Amino acid sequence: MTTETRNPQRQDETLNSIGIKKPRIDGILKLTGGADYAADRNLPNQTYGYPVTSTIASGELTGLDLEEALNMPGVLDIFHHDNFDRLSRSPNDFAAENKVGEPRLPFEDNTIYYQGQYIAFVVADTFEHARAASRKVRAHYRKNDEQLTDIATLDSGEGELPGEDVPGDASSIGDADTAYAGAAVKLDQRYSIAQENHSVMEMHASVAHWENDRLTIYESSQGVVFQRNALSNIFGMPLEKVTVISHFIGSGFGSKLFMWPHAVMTAVAARRLGRPVKTVLTRQQEYLNTGYRPKSLQRVRIGADQSGKLLSLHHDGCNETSPAGLHDDTVSASSMKMYHCENVSATNHLVTVNKCAPTSMRAPGEASGNFALETALDELAIQLEMDPLELRRRNFAETDLSVQLPWSSNHLKECWDNAASRFGWDKRNPTPGAMKDGDEIVGYGMATQSWEAMRQHCGARVGFRDDGTLLVACGTQDIGTGTYTIAAQTASERTGIPVEMIDVRLGDSSLPAGPLSGGSMATATVLPAVSAAVREAVEKLKELATAEGGPLENAESDSIEIKDGRLVSGDRSIEVAELLRQNRVGMIDGEAHTAPGDEKNQYSFRSWGAVFVEVRWDPGISRLRVARVVSTIDAGRIINPLTARNQIEGGIVMGLGMAMFEETEYDPHGYPYNNNLADYIVPVNADMPQVEVELLNHPDYLLNEFGARGLGEIGLTGVAAAVSNAVYNATGKRIRDMPVSIEKLLSA
Amino acid sequence: MAPVIRHSTGVGFCTPGAQADIAERPSAVSGKTSETRRITLTVNGQQHDLQVTPNAILLDVLREQLNLFGTKKGCDHGQCGACTVHVNGQSVNSCLLLACMQEGVDIVTIEGLAESAGFEQGHHPVQEAFLEHDAYQCGYCTAGQMMTASAVINDDTIDGDEVSLREALSGNICRCGAYKNILDAVQSARGKMRGGQ
Repeated sequence: MTTETRNPQRQDETLNSIGIKKPRIDGILKLTGGADYAADRNLPNQTYGYPVTSTIASGELTGLDLEEALNMPGVLDIFHHDNFDRLSRSPNDFAAENKVGEPRLPFEDNTIYYQGQYIAFVVADTFEHARAASRKVRAHYRKNDEQLTDIATLDSGEGELPGEDVPGDASSIGDADTAYAGAAVKLDQRYSIAQENHSVMEMHASVAHWENDRLTIYESSQGVVFQRNALSNIFGMPLEKVTVISHFIGSGFGSKLFMWPHAVMTAVAARRLGRPVKTVLTRQQEYLNTGYRPKSLQRVRIGADQSGKLLSLHHDGCNETSPAGLHDDTVSASSMKMYHCENVSATNHLVTVNKCAPTSMRAPGEASGNFALETALDELAIQLEMDPLELRRRNFAETDLSVQLPWSSNHLKECWDNAASRFGWDKRNPTPGAMKDGDEIVGYGMATQSWEAMRQHCGARVGFRDDGTLLVACGTQDIGTGTYTIAAQTASERTGIPVEMIDVRLGDSSLPAGPLSGGSMATATVLPAVSAAVREAVEKLKELATAEGGPLENAESDSIEIKDGRLVSGDRSIEVAELLRQNRVGMIDGEAHTAPGDEKNQYSFRSWGAVFVEVRWDPGISRLRVARVVSTIDAGRIINPLTARNQIEGGIVMGLGMAMFEETEYDPHGYPYNNNLADYIVPVNADMPQVEVELLNHPDYLLNEFGARGLGEIGLTGVAAAVSNAVYNATGKRIRDMPVSIEKLLSA
Repeated sequence: MAPVIRHSTGVGFCTPGAQADIAERPSAVSGKTSETRRITLTVNGQQHDLQVTPNAILLDVLREQLNLFGTKKGCDHGQCGACTVHVNGQSVNSCLLLACMQEGVDIVTIEGLAESAGFEQGHHPVQEAFLEHDAYQCGYCTAGQMMTASAVINDDTIDGDEVSLREALSGNICRCGAYKNILDAVQSARGKMRGGQ
């Protein structure tokens, strides 16, 4: 483990590769069809798997009619409860990095917990044959009379939220009850977020292949190390016998963080048949079996004085979870630290429903909780007849009161000022419906954006090669965020070797273990490891160069720097590649493992932002649209402004989905009937408003040597509240349940 | 309670010790083969003689038989645009076409886009613009976006203003939300390909 110095007062280095708009180094592969996503391969002798799913939500599978399916052309085998391999469950432990999406093994018992649960797995010689045979499998069930598929049916809409309290989720500072009771101004409101599905473009896919006792699985995964560890546990195999490869991922947004059961079925079938098996879930199955952002109900109570000072905040959350896998979305947790309030209480309840396991979805928990809190603050501002931005300013959190720690770096005030100014917030008329433009009524709304800044342990390896190129390898993934490119920028920064000469390898569990691509932590985690690995390799290069007869013989090691791919000491220098060639060495490598230190106990780390939204409501044709979004983000140093801005804009687009369109809808039998991309509405190009993002670029050196925090989640936060607040400003209607559909707007 | 397996053939319900013969099993459990037909497809200027079942979809044939993986499956229902290819220069969803009905037409996939437009060396202007404008993130919808974009640019009925282009590109979902950059890239490529038109 290498040590790093972290110093908030350090001088900004002059950087050459970091902070530059750099087109993606994997761009040409993606633009020519050359990038290999999981299913983009046909292995010799390959077969095709096709899952069969339950058509009831709760009960028992009492029998399967398989004869017709088995007699279909091309069928090789059908796997199910009675013939599946005996395996062990993964311990499903996040800290041990073997967490899975659904801990239950495929076909483990005959109990049906949710509609869409796997009941059989057909394998055939072609995709067409597997699909055709899957439709001939007949299942017999004993259906439970009682099933629960919607949390809202338990809710009276007032007072306490339904469900069981999660003791570990309850946190508080001060005495929120007493402070609320004594407050001059009070607000007590309920909010909800509909279930959202990730709806990733690339369906989950596995291609499993055994060579003797060694398993290689190509998977669309945000965490090859987690999946490798889980499979090792499940199959009782040493880690080195399992390789999970995920060179390119057609996005994940959380749905591919943790392995789902299709991968286990695919691996078992491949072992049993002695042939590779490719499984690609259907778009419909994606909505049945690969997680979602759970529906949440929330209650916010705020007590304030007449000046807008927050005296008390209660935020209670409640989310759906599944008998097939517990997921606590902790929607209220971030409210403990968003604003200066000395009396705060946050709780979360869970309700088990007959759906597949929920999982993390982009800004999990916080995106939902932020919606409720930031909408409640807008309502409070209206009650106080105060500008909503001014209300927030008056309650800026100078420190993180929830843990009594200073912020590592917090430029939220600058975000508010910058975004408000660019948006033209001063032109806002607070009277609903007062701003008109032709047939349209204009509404302005805003919200604060935020997401925790995290860092994990990470390994990385670099290798200087005798052809002048540099290898960088890390067992993390690039899910489209640009990790390949920023890893190359980092190595280039630390060696002077041009980005074009750097060969980055990611998405392979056999590489030094790297982090999940999730939680906005990959950048802050991976870059220091790459930098440390460079230092390790450079030390070896120095030994070679200063050896007897070497080009830098007798030079003090400390006097040697690496610049432009050369080792330089005073007026002597040698190109690294030439040094290797002279010594007939093909490659000199260095490996490092880095980890966060004690700074977590000394500072609180968060990213901040402000988002302002203009909506337009045309009452003549009942059309609501978002016309303009302005956001300013404080996420530490920006490594690649080109990809960073894109990612924030993408988060905003998904936030618009949450605000305007996205809702997974279930029939009374627990079937998500809008399980496709025509009926589950996501934003398309024609829905796009004008989007203007600014990234502040203030390095946070307490988190890592580059001062980078992370960008994946924060863009999405705040957007739903800002839209809802703007809708109120336009229409005078307060929509507290996302999405703001036309139906809700017309009936409000 | 274990399920009752009705009318089971018993084949495939192996205990671990009974698996030894699986590798030698010639093909399917049933031994049945399905009716196939012989077709010739012209893809990226090359002719391919293929055996396909009548229900084989062009998208699956491109990927699973011709190893042309640049064309992606995103929904299999004509809802997302990820599988967009050109058939006789028109952009179409390859997931909605039966392979056996595509004889005698020119099919172009992302692998052949540049060459089909006369850029035998290097890349199509749309590809270059997508790189420069970072008009993608994960890259999965990107081939479809570019196949649509290149057809849209060549379509004289679609104007080059923002509203017209956004509408014309809306059959292609990008869940990463790179729409702003996609529009910028398409406008840039359109300017280069059509000049002031």
